[in-house]
Amino acid sequence: MTADSPDDAALPEGRATSSVRRSDLERRLPRSAPDALRFEPGVFVQQTAHGQGSAFIRGLTGQQTLLLFDGIRLNNSTYRQGPNQYFFTLDSHSIDSIDVLRGGGSTRYGSDALGGVILTRPLSLPRPGPSDEGLWARPRLRLRGASADREWGGRLQLEAGLGEKWGFIGGVGGRRVGLLESSGPVLNPIDGQLPEVPRFAPDGRTQLGTGFDELTADGRTVWHLAPGQRLTLAGYLYRQFDSPRTDQCAPPYAPHNECLRYEQQFRTLAYAAWDAEALGPWAHQARATLSWQQQHERRRHERPSSFVFLLGEDDVDTLGLTALAHPRPFALPGGLSLALSYGLDSYLDFLRSEATIGFSDLGISLPRSRGQYLDGSWYLHGGAFLEGELSLPQGVVVRAGSRLSWVAAHAPGDSESGSAPVERSWFPLVGHAGAEWTPVRSLTLLASVDRSFRAPNLDDMTSRQQTGPGFQFENPLLAPETATTLEVGVRVRTAPVSLQLWAFTSLLEDAVGKRPREARDCPPETPQCQASWSRFQLVNARELSVLRGLEASARLRPLPGLVSMASVAWTWSEGPNLSDPPSDPSLPFERRVPLSRVPPLNGTVELVWSHPLGLSAGGALRWASAQTRLALADRSDARIPLGGTPGFAVVDARLSYRRGNLLMIALVAENLLDSPYRYHGSSVNGPGRALTLSLEGALP
Amino acid sequence: MSNTSKSLHTNLPALMLAAALTACGNGNTGIPNGDNPNPGDAQGECATKPTYTENVAACVPLATDYQPRVEGSANDSWAACISDDNTYHPIQESISTIARVEGFETIARLLWTPGKVPSPQSFVDARVKYAEAEGLDSRVQRREDIHHPPPANGAKCRDAGIPELYPDRCVGPAKLLPILNDAFVKGANNEQPLVQAARIEASLVWFLYVSALSEVTSCGDKLGDCDSAWAYYTGGTARAAPIGLARYVKELTPETHERAYDATLAVRCWRDLDTAVPAANTSLQFQARTQLDTALLRGMAVIVRQRFQELTCTSGDVKQARWTFLRVMVPLMDRAARELDATQADVLKAQVEKASPDEVDVPAAVAALDVLFDCP
Repeated sequence: MTADSPDDAALPEGRATSSVRRSDLERRLPRSAPDALRFEPGVFVQQTAHGQGSAFIRGLTGQQTLLLFDGIRLNNSTYRQGPNQYFFTLDSHSIDSIDVLRGGGSTRYGSDALGGVILTRPLSLPRPGPSDEGLWARPRLRLRGASADREWGGRLQLEAGLGEKWGFIGGVGGRRVGLLESSGPVLNPIDGQLPEVPRFAPDGRTQLGTGFDELTADGRTVWHLAPGQRLTLAGYLYRQFDSPRTDQCAPPYAPHNECLRYEQQFRTLAYAAWDAEALGPWAHQARATLSWQQQHERRRHERPSSFVFLLGEDDVDTLGLTALAHPRPFALPGGLSLALSYGLDSYLDFLRSEATIGFSDLGISLPRSRGQYLDGSWYLHGGAFLEGELSLPQGVVVRAGSRLSWVAAHAPGDSESGSAPVERSWFPLVGHAGAEWTPVRSLTLLASVDRSFRAPNLDDMTSRQQTGPGFQFENPLLAPETATTLEVGVRVRTAPVSLQLWAFTSLLEDAVGKRPREARDCPPETPQCQASWSRFQLVNARELSVLRGLEASARLRPLPGLVSMASVAWTWSEGPNLSDPPSDPSLPFERRVPLSRVPPLNGTVELVWSHPLGLSAGGALRWASAQTRLALADRSDARIPLGGTPGFAVVDARLSYRRGNLLMIALVAENLLDSPYRYHGSSVNGPGRALTLSLEGALP
Repeated sequence: MSNTSKSLHTNLPALMLAAALTACGNGNTGIPNGDNPNPGDAQGECATKPTYTENVAACVPLATDYQPRVEGSANDSWAACISDDNTYHPIQESISTIARVEGFETIARLLWTPGKVPSPQSFVDARVKYAEAEGLDSRVQRREDIHHPPPANGAKCRDAGIPELYPDRCVGPAKLLPILNDAFVKGANNEQPLVQAARIEASLVWFLYVSALSEVTSCGDKLGDCDSAWAYYTGGTARAAPIGLARYVKELTPETHERAYDATLAVRCWRDLDTAVPAANTSLQFQARTQLDTALLRGMAVIVRQRFQELTCTSGDVKQARWTFLRVMVPLMDRAARELDATQADVLKAQVEKASPDEVDVPAAVAALDVLFDCP
């Protein structure tokens, strides 16, 4: 495959980045798009459900990180605080690569890019082969099975083209995934007891509240309209069915058959992209996209013993427009060179939300006055930015940029539920500056400061929902949160060794966090709020929150055909205690506390041996230390064992064989030592000792 | 509280019966107090409700009882503690249980307001309230009766198949839930609405009773559950203006209510004296729980007693409703009754096994209750 997307969609230069390539995916056989990030430095993947996954980047996740697909935002205004499932809605079979930017990225990408940016590139069009003259087509079949969760499925793909004028790649896929077998329970560090989450089958290994079904379809076609001009039309469908939320299936202390499941988790993305070159001095390269994305989810919380079901259905339609251009680099006196890029983007969300309660023995279903969100809400955001890169003598490059954004939120009120209307708008101004110096060819020193932002979204300002730590209700008065990140890095690139070291400090101003609330604070007509063990409301912290960390990654080629890679990341966090101090001053009160679910010290090691004939073998180690620094909300979160999450080390072995572009066989034996383990903050323990097999073949 | 001649913890039925008949001066003779049967009103309700005049003057507290109303607990065996000011001091600022008891009151207004026959829509509305997230249904489904041993081999009532094997322990899912489910459906289908309302009422009243005791037990591991024990009885209210189960008890038998409230303070006192998690002083925990159990059982008995008496002056569906309430409640009380006096428990049980309410020997039932649960 070759790229048909321009570099415009690439991540900024001079920053801490890493990439997962298609060849990595073929070797590692990840279960999902989030799973594909397990070996990225500074990225820690949490799973609230077997059919969900959320990447923590530098200690932040969910609405505080930004997901992009082919340069188009996936984040919408319902992304919630804490982990979410939406990166899982990218079909890993349709992904060519995933780039990760660690640290803020709002100048280029706008709101939400506080902790980092994940940019996914779709499978791109193959170039015609020597025998592909005129109209040609090549079907490809990929089959996959895994023993840990009895997954089976596959993808049928078609690649076609008409010379250099037109190309197409698309496919349909599906899989059925059963209950996930782990190596057994991960016990509470405090008392050695079994945590409430997850529930196990009588074998003590198989995790209840797991498994799902999935269907995918995608198509991408590119026309070369004229020299230097290209039109891409693409559509990506993801349909996930019956995916239980593991920590709510069954909820802690509830009967075995009570379950919250995502009956439908759908995403549809369609877009047109126009790429052009040499349009003029101010648009040497340009790209414009027009997109429509629909996110649909239907949740069903069922209590079969009482014949009660609670249904929630939310749909978000997002219209997006982006434009990006690069002028031809300007030659300045003294041999200096200035490269600029500029652009604007805007997205508009329309939200529909409803909820019902029903009784299956009566056959009735009653609508509630409001859903998780306020039906009829909309959210507009966008901005314009300018970035520049100045190349100076002595290997020095200076970069800077700025963005002015606009954000407007509207939500109708609902008197029956005591929901206040929302009419808010903001105009955040952010930017970045950085420099790199390459004193010798193999060594680069980097430093940057970035200020990024996240404007409160409709989830923050209007949603009412049962979250992991407790019931969370809205705060329509939130202000944007900002992150100022200072980072310094060292890059070493030689033939046998490449190495990156990064250190960062992020200062979060007005950081949005969960503040414990009392029953009297609950909104009116919300008895489930008063009846919950814990209640939270998102608030802006009045003091700075801090994230600090170190990240290192290395790639070593000790022998021909042998590559070893390693990464390690450490993140430390602290923020103000958002709860009120006790009225009795003699009672202990921590004024500053860790931020929620920040990953522990963790790392990876991979060893890959490749033979020119296509055979490859290797192994991998994933490890994490225990995480016992818990936020207040973490202590009431059933996803975290009492006292924190124990550390782990998991060893995998891999074997694969590739014959050109026509045949690929890969086998992964994971968790060879059958170690019970859990990524911090997850409801799901990792798979036990198991095999995953992938077979791929194409017609010549 | 006990009468002077016995301890409620010795479980000596003969002694208790003798003591009750001779020393517990509540004036009960087996005949409703001054409330002879009357013909009832046009809707089948009693024209004049039988009244019960509580007289527990002969009952004296056990040596182990906590007595915050008597000189701030100065004369009892309990060490000084937070409850000595005769006020419940919540451990946590918010008590989620209060919302569930308020839900109970909402259901009560919808389904068993005197003189009103609930409509099918009322049953649906009540069920919506009952089924709210984190509401009554969620707790009925997981409620255990701590008087019975837990399932063997570490199994839990929430596990598949366990409620069927241990129905007494898993009282919520095994006994209460089927009644509630059936009654809500039949009520919504307009089948004997008063009867269905009575089934729901009896089930939920018993739920509140077992919940209070269950929370005292779990408070050994989770401090906030002591607040829930207090709230399952009182609805989180002060002595004088209770809701939920305490409202029932106070209306019929004020001193029993005071004693039950004392016992909730005893629970709080224990957790003030024993702040270890898990609890270190489990004997004090048991002492407080027993005091609460005794008072609550007496309260439940008086509620049942009143319904027996009302059989004599009600008619039609109203009478069927009272009868249904008793047929739900009395079997649930059988364990406690039988532990105290198997003979009287048999008398009580025999009354609700009669084919119709007209066959019930009300004086015999009332006498049995007065013997069994004579002192709070």
